[in-house]
Amino acid sequence: MNTAIRNWLGLVTLVLMVAALFMIFAYVPTEADQGIVQRIFYFHVPCAWVAFASFGLVAVAGMLYLWLGDQIWDDLGYASAESGMVFCTLTLVTGSLWARPIWGVWWSGDSRLTTTFILWLMYGGYLMLRASADDTPRVARFGAVVGIVAALDVPLVIVSVRLWRTIHPAVIVTRQGGHGLQDPSMIVTLLVSMAAMTALWAWLLMLRFAQLRTRTRLDTLAMQLAFAHAATGDR
Amino acid sequence: MSAFAAVLRKDLRLELRGGNSTIALLAMSMLVLVVLVFALDAARLRSFDTAAGALWVAMIFSGVVGATRALSAERENGAIHGLLLSPLEAPSLYAAKTAAAFIFMAVAEAGAVVMMVLFFNLEFDASLVRLIPVLMLGALGFSALATLLSAATGHTRAGDMLLPILAVPMFVPALIAGVKASTAALAGAPLASMGEWLRIMVAFDVLFITAGYLLFEHVVGDD
Repeated sequence: MNTAIRNWLGLVTLVLMVAALFMIFAYVPTEADQGIVQRIFYFHVPCAWVAFASFGLVAVAGMLYLWLGDQIWDDLGYASAESGMVFCTLTLVTGSLWARPIWGVWWSGDSRLTTTFILWLMYGGYLMLRASADDTPRVARFGAVVGIVAALDVPLVIVSVRLWRTIHPAVIVTRQGGHGLQDPSMIVTLLVSMAAMTALWAWLLMLRFAQLRTRTRLDTLAMQLAFAHAATGDR
Repeated sequence: MSAFAAVLRKDLRLELRGGNSTIALLAMSMLVLVVLVFALDAARLRSFDTAAGALWVAMIFSGVVGATRALSAERENGAIHGLLLSPLEAPSLYAAKTAAAFIFMAVAEAGAVVMMVLFFNLEFDASLVRLIPVLMLGALGFSALATLLSAATGHTRAGDMLLPILAVPMFVPALIAGVKASTAALAGAPLASMGEWLRIMVAFDVLFITAGYLLFEHVVGDD
């Protein structure tokens, strides 16, 4: 049942992704000022959206885990942090590739870049914490707490970084392409890429989540087996 | 409240009888400042923002050292089990540990400010008084954050290495606000002019003290 949904979602992702690629490279007109590079925008923005959604889900899953104590929420949080990290990395990479020809630099101290990078560092720390401990219930609680605290910190990071930049104005004042989508086909393309990226994320998340669920079940079975052996006395 | 006072008194007494945390924090602050003076050749610059930046780098490094020590002392010989078995609520334990970390950091900060004035050729004047609330807010926020996180990271294989990796990115809002406000304070600006930076720091402190108060029981338990 679960597998069937996942396979259908995989198929939908494939169709949407092919459609998005076609629209990005063949359908949508080239942006007048930035030229061909602007097409990376249709990957960049959906990746950023998915990364943020993913990190939000980590915090929600963390709260549910601390509240209800069911391992399923921790598995969801962990899977979500991992997939969020993938898309956050893609956001930084695509942004950097775009910035080089447009801004002339790979990296600038722009507020949105800095915020995304800080998020990347935070959830990198979360994953390192998860990787360096294997005592499941305990590390699940740690992960939940770190996931919640990181999400609480995000608004403050956004406010402070923005304030920091307005006092020290950015050297390059170009805004990102989001404000200048004159052609309606650009909006349609963006929406299709958003849908494709969201479907891809949901599919990856479900795959990883299913894998973690299996791991939890195996752990439980192994423990029950050990108890059964101990009870019957054979070793 | 009495539980809070008892744990805090215990930690302060341990420190006074040779816990060496404050000394380690002071030494760390001094080393960072010395390294930055050489790296930036800052004594000739006499710039307020370099001095403020150096001070906050020193604060972060010493804060990490302080927070790792605060709970590792309890883990030695399983002293934490005694604390958890005692009729002591996890929030009180959190408050006491944060308060102790804050006091050690504040002492180290005071030393770091003196060294900053000497190394960076600044003046001992009224601007240092205006620095006090900024540094106190920063130390409080870092103690609140690091005490919560160190309870989690101390249990992992990577151990205390993880604490700065988790704590420093989360501290960024207070760091940005703190460096800006400190620069303004050193340059002689009145406190009112740094209102928005101080507000960010207060918000950071309130947020992390509340989060720590509510979440500490989930990380400190030992099962």
